[in-house]
Amino acid sequence: MEDVITLNQDVMIVAYYFKDKDQPKCFPKRMEYEGKQVVFTETGLRHPTHKGQRMVHVFDMTDGSADYRLEFDAMSLIWKLVYIADASYAAAI
Amino acid sequence: MQLPFNRAQPEIMHIDLNSCFATVEQQARPLLRNRPVGITNRKTTFSCIIAASYEAKAFGVKVGMRSDEALRLAPGMVIVETDPPKYHYVYQKLMAIMRSYSPDVTMKSIDEGVIDFHGTRQHLNARPLADIGMEIKQRLKDDVGCWMKCNIGIAPNRFLAKQAASLHKPDGLDIINHANLRSTLFGLSLTDLSGIAERNQARLNAAGIYTPLQFLDASSETLHRLVFHSVCGDDWYQKLRGWEVDNHESQVRSVGRQYVLEDSHLSQEAVNARLAYLCESTGVRLRSKDLCARGILVYARYSSGDYWYNRKMFKTTFYSNAEIYRRAILVFNRRPVDSEVKEIGVTCYGLEPSLNNQMSLLDEVNKERWLSNTIDSINQQYGEFTLTFASSFSSRSIVKQKIPFGGTQYLALLSHS
Repeated sequence: MEDVITLNQDVMIVAYYFKDKDQPKCFPKRMEYEGKQVVFTETGLRHPTHKGQRMVHVFDMTDGSADYRLEFDAMSLIWKLVYIADASYAAAI
Repeated sequence: MQLPFNRAQPEIMHIDLNSCFATVEQQARPLLRNRPVGITNRKTTFSCIIAASYEAKAFGVKVGMRSDEALRLAPGMVIVETDPPKYHYVYQKLMAIMRSYSPDVTMKSIDEGVIDFHGTRQHLNARPLADIGMEIKQRLKDDVGCWMKCNIGIAPNRFLAKQAASLHKPDGLDIINHANLRSTLFGLSLTDLSGIAERNQARLNAAGIYTPLQFLDASSETLHRLVFHSVCGDDWYQKLRGWEVDNHESQVRSVGRQYVLEDSHLSQEAVNARLAYLCESTGVRLRSKDLCARGILVYARYSSGDYWYNRKMFKTTFYSNAEIYRRAILVFNRRPVDSEVKEIGVTCYGLEPSLNNQMSLLDEVNKERWLSNTIDSINQQYGEFTLTFASSFSSRSIVKQKIPFGGTQYLALLSHS
């Protein structure tokens, strides 16, 4: 079983917004969480979902040592760290 | 009936995402890549694996296996719980790619679909379908992510296209036509054919058919009278020769949900709460299709392995959560209570189009309809199960949304969390 820590905490994010092949893109680059800074290296998947009529963009990110799930509420413009999936399980293999 | 092989140009393309849910999870979480991953609906010891990554399959992990068995085979396997909105997003992306080539697209399930290119080739500058197949693979990587892979099969009919898509997994692209049909079937066993499992294999064996080539060479009469004892024999005769018999749409005949209880020692009240939740979920599906039902079936599977079900047909139709639950509990209370319940399910059948747009002369009927519509509107606005039965409230965080495997009719409901 994997080691997932569910947090659901508001976090500060520095994100880049740009266009790729005329498609607007967003890349959350840096996150401040409990006084630490996490620098993301890759977006796994970005998918929109609805919470009622609110649009929430879900970003599955990695910094190379753990996977992070972020949610961006398009209405309130708040970033939330949903969980961290720690890579410690990888060492056990 | 005597039919030659269909010598028409192959214009059916079958696209199948490889180990779909596991691949999507590996796409979303890069640290899972190149690792054995198993997807379950719930992270419990006894839940079954509904998708396994290719790395897990290499250890012998199969779909349908229990999590503890799978972990014994692949000790480092990561078990991940399903995330339906994510899969729905990939499904939508795949469908958009497919629809950009032809208006005739049929999604067979959440992870596979068929493009019929008949009548569209002129608009695609008569490009070879193999080129288009390679382009679709690349677009899937561009639009969803670099880890996504799909199998593509091209053939004159749906059956052979699906067969072609299963020849070289993962990430294959194969064409079956009249010229290579025999050589392709030569390397396969009967159970490699889509739609032939142990029982059909036994039927074919009983008629002296042991290989796909013997199956292909069998006459229509043999398949009809000796093997399948029905028109299925004629269908098999035609589809093995590349003629189309599968281009029909099935109708919704029943709507339901089932749930394996998280603990077999649950109290009567807790089991009823889970049932109430399933009834609400069934009601949402029923109303999303503008249907109402006349019949209800409730089943229970016990720890002892026994199975019980009961059903009842009513004179009046019903569609609201409260009515579904009231009728379901009426049937459910008839079950034997001498053993612990392990799994429960509720199914509405006898479906009819809803008469929701017509006011009733009876005030009671109108009030029920308004209440049901209002609850649905509030739940659409603020998220599903915002307004729910007090009795099913405790189940809300326990019973998870499930992936409809068989069809695509409820996939729109997955995009909401």
